[in-house]
Amino acid sequence: MSKNTELHPLLSISGASCQGCARKIRSALEPLTGDADRVEVNLENQTVSLPDGIDTSEAARAVTDAGYPASPMATSSDTHQPPENDHCHAEKTQPDADAGHKPELKKAESAATDDDQIHLAVTGATCASCVNTIEKALTSVEGITGAHMNLADNTATATGHADPQTLIKAVESSGYGASVIEDPDEADENKQEQDRKHYRTLLVKMAISLSLGLGLMIWGMGFNTMRVTADNQITWITLGILTLGVMIATGGHFYTGAWKAFRHHNANMDTLIALGTGTAWVYSIVVASVPDALPEMARHVYFEASAMIIGLINLGQALELRAKGKTSEAVRRLLDLRAKTARVIRDGEEQDLPVEQVKAGDHIRVRPGESVPVDGEITEGSTRIDESMLTGEPMPVSKGEGDEVSAGTLNTSGSIIYQATRVGSDTALAQIIRLVKKAQGSKPAIGRLADRISAVFVPTVMLIAVVAALVWYNVGPEPAVVHMMVAATTVLIIACPCALGLATPMSVMVGVGKAAEYGALIRQGDALQTAGKLDLVILDKTGTITGGHPAVTRCQATDDDTGRLLALAAGLEQHSEHPLAEAIMAKAKAENVSPVKVSGFEALNGKGVSGELDGEPLRLGNRRWLEQQGVDLAALGKEADTITAEAGTPLFLALGNTALGVIGVADAVKQDSEAAIRRLHDAGIRVMMVTGDVDATARAIARKTGIDDYRAEVLPEDKATIVSEMRGKGYTVAMVGDGINDAPALAASDVGFAIGTGTDVAIESAGITLMRGSLHGVADAIEISRATVRNIHQNLFGAFIYNSLGIPVAAGLLYPFWGILMSPILAGAAMSASSVTVVTNANRLRLFKTSSSASREGNK
Amino acid sequence: MSTFLVNAGGLVLMAAIVWWFWLSPSDDGQSDQDHNHH
Repeated sequence: MSKNTELHPLLSISGASCQGCARKIRSALEPLTGDADRVEVNLENQTVSLPDGIDTSEAARAVTDAGYPASPMATSSDTHQPPENDHCHAEKTQPDADAGHKPELKKAESAATDDDQIHLAVTGATCASCVNTIEKALTSVEGITGAHMNLADNTATATGHADPQTLIKAVESSGYGASVIEDPDEADENKQEQDRKHYRTLLVKMAISLSLGLGLMIWGMGFNTMRVTADNQITWITLGILTLGVMIATGGHFYTGAWKAFRHHNANMDTLIALGTGTAWVYSIVVASVPDALPEMARHVYFEASAMIIGLINLGQALELRAKGKTSEAVRRLLDLRAKTARVIRDGEEQDLPVEQVKAGDHIRVRPGESVPVDGEITEGSTRIDESMLTGEPMPVSKGEGDEVSAGTLNTSGSIIYQATRVGSDTALAQIIRLVKKAQGSKPAIGRLADRISAVFVPTVMLIAVVAALVWYNVGPEPAVVHMMVAATTVLIIACPCALGLATPMSVMVGVGKAAEYGALIRQGDALQTAGKLDLVILDKTGTITGGHPAVTRCQATDDDTGRLLALAAGLEQHSEHPLAEAIMAKAKAENVSPVKVSGFEALNGKGVSGELDGEPLRLGNRRWLEQQGVDLAALGKEADTITAEAGTPLFLALGNTALGVIGVADAVKQDSEAAIRRLHDAGIRVMMVTGDVDATARAIARKTGIDDYRAEVLPEDKATIVSEMRGKGYTVAMVGDGINDAPALAASDVGFAIGTGTDVAIESAGITLMRGSLHGVADAIEISRATVRNIHQNLFGAFIYNSLGIPVAAGLLYPFWGILMSPILAGAAMSASSVTVVTNANRLRLFKTSSSASREGNK
Repeated sequence: MSTFLVNAGGLVLMAAIVWWFWLSPSDDGQSDQDHNHH
């Protein structure tokens, strides 16, 4: 992009995961920049670079409207720093098993910080329309570029820079309550307490209103009939006033909510309930007060309907609240993993301290059966640590001096002393909790569609209610006034969109939590949705299919002096931290060979390493590169073929133009890779491998693991091109890699899976991070994604079918054929049942088991 | 007469719903923004 000489990263974005997203963002900004090519989207860092002179707030708004929450980056000085990804590009251009070596691996840092997000706890939101109203209210605040409300846990997140108090006011003035979430943990506890209180209150309210409604119904039907006569007029007026009192006491929140929404030109679930019950009560009190104004057949009161509808909806909300609590179980389970105290050794003395007082650098003792309080590195002792709660890996892992331990894991056998490295909110566990919470609140594309529909839904229902009333009045049988009132009330009550609003977030919450249980951390709701549609999985070889710990398998020197060969190779590799280098160093150490001193070390991407020995160039690398340098490798050809046939990588060593020998390094295939690939095949997914290895090595591994297709001798930077190429062929592609070297390919794919090591949770380029280094995680995540998307579809289908059948029936469509006109009380029960059904169906996902765990249980 | 009044009332109500929820300017957010809108 030669035009972009003056581009600076000015916007921080989220949710952009592929080139399609980048295109959308560029075209959204085209009206501002005049040319889409003048915009650069960095998927890896989640930033957008713009030419000078563009209004960043306006640009952020345009990007947010395109579906990617964006905010201007904090300070102008930031914008003139070189893009952060520069170093990432340097890192990512590392080969996997080829002879490229890298001096230093740096963990991908979380680029999108939470600094520009304000989290609010919202009260009073009950349906999809509320979500819309709140999001609209928040985005209308100056400085806010995007807002997202999660109905499943009643939190809202505003992206941008604004005074939190202004945001609270904005939410309050649109009819809801809000408070800033400062300490998420405390907020969780408060919320649980509030929910418990709210649940009890709802049950009491339900009991009062249902008692009155049922009492009236029994009394009216049993002794009196519900008609107003001169004899019972006073009684009915008194009962009407009593009903009004109960309606206000037990359903007051519906009326205030409806009024506040109405004042802001909005309509929500409260509007429908308030109008429905209000219409029934007003009609009844008119009948009771001036019965003579209406024909005799129309002197029927519906006080019991108003009271019972409110009672049933309160019951529905109470059940919903209880079921909602269960969906966040996954996070609660993670929160419960945190230890309260740590046995810290300070000045030679062991003392139990609250975990908050542990500092990085402290030495901590963990005895068998205790959980690890903070992250750290073992300095004394060895043990087996159960990491299943974090990684999903069922077998305890052996750990000794120098190994890392993570907070929340369980020490099963020996006593260890370790040094704390990360404490508080920096621990892997804290990061996982943050990530899971964030993903649980994110909304996949399918959910945004439901939101758009529900925004116009309530006013449309109001129109339908008026039309139904007029039709009944004009062409319905007598008593027309009663029928019109019943039809309008029933339509208003049955059409409540609460099920629609809950359908997606409930399933996402359970699905993301379920994936976390299996050690798959999903970053975005979109990744969860797309993972279910995958039909091609591209696997990086090293560390993904293989263990990533290569070992020297063969060593042949042209002069048969393998000791000198190793010493020279180790002399070069001692400067490198590449896994291949580690393998050679380990071999040299095992053979008691001291590395020869080599100067001028240089790592060449995808080729090998070079240095200088006695003024001559010393090179260790792949065949292609050395032959290009004029080295004749013919004498080593046979040995190299044997190495590749055994799925190893031959590394040739040459001094000047003379070949000195070949070293075979092989990376063993992980035990469960083959089984995991079979699971992907069973799921109808094609599996492809990309590797920097030579063709013969790649072929050997592909044959061993059942991989359908492979690309060998791929340079790291070409992996992204292959991903794009396969996407171009119509595949929905997942890239599975290590998250650092493979970052561009991960970002270019539809869903990037980063294989983590249990602690690398902050991998931004991947949509899904696998905590355990097994490919089963990919299959698990795909199965969970499919189950979640299926669940969302069921929920949305249920919610839409309910409304599209319920509204015509409520309007009286069945009356001409079978004389059926639905009672408003039944409508209230049906409405409550619909949202309870959606929440219950989402909860069903909690019981989901992936095929691996199901078969594991079957084998027990 | 009552038929006319009920039908006219219904139509007016529908027009009011359309106007209030779709056509009239929304004043979401805060009051100081209202001033900007109007």
